[in-house]
Amino acid sequence: MSVTGASVRNVYRVERRKLSSQLGIRLLALVCLLAPFVFGAILKIQSGSPTDTLYGVWVHSSGFALSLVVLAFAGSWGLPLVVGITAGDIFSAEDRYGTWKLVLTRSCTRRDVFLGKLLAAATFSIGLLGLTAVSSVVAGALLVGDASLVSLSGTLIAPGSSLGLVLVSWLLCVPPALAFASLGVLLSIATRNGILGVVGPGVAALAMQLLLLVGSGIWMHMLLVDSAFDGWHALFSGHPFYGAIVVGIIVSIVWTLACVGLAWLMLRKRDFAGTPVARRQGWVMPFRVALALTAVIAVLAIAGNWGPVGITAARLKASLVPTFNSLTLLQQRELGRSVAPGAKLDIVLPTCSRRGSAPTGPGDWVCTLNVVTPVQGSSQPPEPTPIAYDVSVNSDGCYKAQSPPAFIGQQLMRDAQGQNVVNPLYTIYGCFNTI
Amino acid sequence: MKRFETTCALDDVDLVVEEGEIRGLLGPNGAGKTTLLRILFGLVRPDAGSVELFDRAAAAPGPVLEGVAGFIEAPSFYPYLSGRVNLELLAELDGEGAGARIDQALERVGLGTRGGDRVNGYSSGMRQRLGIAASLLRAPRLLLLDEPTAGLDPGGVREMGALVRELSADGVAVVLSSHQIAEVEDACDSFTVLRRGVVVWNGTAAQLRAQAPASSYGVLTSDDERALEIAAGRSGIRAAPLRNGGLALTAEKDCLDPFVLALGKADVAIRRLELLVSPLESMFFTLTSETEVDVTEPSMMAERMFART
Repeated sequence: MSVTGASVRNVYRVERRKLSSQLGIRLLALVCLLAPFVFGAILKIQSGSPTDTLYGVWVHSSGFALSLVVLAFAGSWGLPLVVGITAGDIFSAEDRYGTWKLVLTRSCTRRDVFLGKLLAAATFSIGLLGLTAVSSVVAGALLVGDASLVSLSGTLIAPGSSLGLVLVSWLLCVPPALAFASLGVLLSIATRNGILGVVGPGVAALAMQLLLLVGSGIWMHMLLVDSAFDGWHALFSGHPFYGAIVVGIIVSIVWTLACVGLAWLMLRKRDFAGTPVARRQGWVMPFRVALALTAVIAVLAIAGNWGPVGITAARLKASLVPTFNSLTLLQQRELGRSVAPGAKLDIVLPTCSRRGSAPTGPGDWVCTLNVVTPVQGSSQPPEPTPIAYDVSVNSDGCYKAQSPPAFIGQQLMRDAQGQNVVNPLYTIYGCFNTI
Repeated sequence: MKRFETTCALDDVDLVVEEGEIRGLLGPNGAGKTTLLRILFGLVRPDAGSVELFDRAAAAPGPVLEGVAGFIEAPSFYPYLSGRVNLELLAELDGEGAGARIDQALERVGLGTRGGDRVNGYSSGMRQRLGIAASLLRAPRLLLLDEPTAGLDPGGVREMGALVRELSADGVAVVLSSHQIAEVEDACDSFTVLRRGVVVWNGTAAQLRAQAPASSYGVLTSDDERALEIAAGRSGIRAAPLRNGGLALTAEKDCLDPFVLALGKADVAIRRLELLVSPLESMFFTLTSETEVDVTEPSMMAERMFART
């Protein structure tokens, strides 16, 4: 049976109209539009900042950081939830309203209906993602400004480049968002239960977040589509690495194809021979799915150590030391001190060790940088000053490092113009390649 | 052929409907009527055999053939949209030309002024009529309606019958599926009766009536014992007392009026006379009952009648 383009287009138009008529979708669009502004306004009123999130410490300094923090939150759970709402009920709604027979007794094939609905779900998912992206960039520019962004290697990125990188970062979230939308579609068709279709992608994302904390192997972590939402981190390194981005895109495509293919097989073979939906509603099906999901999570947790170790002391040191160096120079410049181009700190014997039983892998680390600082007016040889950083390393190689203020100072400092600015050394964000 | 697990839902069914004909597809619940319509609409695949409509093959999962329309079970719509918007969406799915027929279809089914209302405020009858309107968008040559009178009050049943007759007058062939022969017998020109997925009778309404056994009545008189004595002496009349008073009466064609006159002459007043089972219903019971039914046994028919009410 051939797919007729006109029929798919007709179904697509119908689904688009149905989705845009739904109050839930309209409210969701409003949330996507307003949430970045509300988030930015709350941060502006409060003195604190979400330092646990990458770029969180910079939200008061650069509007682009605000957009990236919104992106980080969206990637964790927001986008899977949004695409779940748009795609997770697009098929099961026909079961709930009993309208399958209405749709399938018109001039379009089952395949046309499937493709049309799929396109509509994808369009709305991407549309809402785009709306959030644009809204967050505009909110950042209006509420904070368009100052240069500090890279994850401690260097400054010009505003134009920052904007480009932020937009590309949002764009990189499209493949995993579509993968989660496909999961919603699969759940919607397989269970005929709108609740599972809508909530399923969000729950799966949370489960993947937990799995990313377990084990030190890279293979299983790379196969989890949720990690593709973090691919943009690599763009903000002084020396961008693209392996994680490519892997994330490929994994997202495979997830999408697998979910869509399975969903189509189920829909194609389905006999619309009655109204079993009433029997299927309730908690039996969600309970079974939750049980199956638990089993899958357990297996994946065991597989967490599969493959080579991505997070090692050597890689962390190799990233932290130059980043610390660059940020120190940035700090000195902001304090109005003269810094020669290409100046380097004398850091001797840096050490990094992981807390806990395993010597490698994501988690909490302690890194000590022994900085040799010359003492003015003294004939004594310079003594190294140890600076200990508590480093929290994620499975994708990105980390947050914080140190007591004895050497590096408080979170805010007065710059050469007497203005309060963020002390670049107070919280250090960095990323290294784990592949 | 279509099987559900070990049950044969349908086997070797051949249905011929002429242009402008209204054919009743009858059978008790589980006879295979809805399964047959689902197969004709491409919603269910037959396990064996093929389906042809207008000399063209229909296959599941496939689009409904051009010129074929209708609904299965109660027509369902998107409740958060108006009737008109629902039709606009369906017209979009049907492609060119269907959109231009929306106003006409709504007027024809009597929803011209209520088309802008949300469907969740519609009564069952209005939904059934919207279902017909949705079918008319396809300019059907064959209309397949599954239990179109289900959930309708007597007035709604009459309106539905009139609407179907109007459509057939325009040349549309109509198949009316029902398990209540009383609700469709006036509207249909011919009948196909299914039992356990097999056609057990096929013919015109006139042929069915000709083969039908006697009608069954409930009679309440001023003197039931006397009435029984009078009935006992007449040919074509059989009577039996009912438990709560009155008589169950089986009267062959042209035998009832002389019996009523005879009761009057014998000073037996008739306080109530009610048709319990029509000839077609009697025939329907005979053809579709799982157990042997003696439709000429008056008390048995009365019991069946009381069971139904």
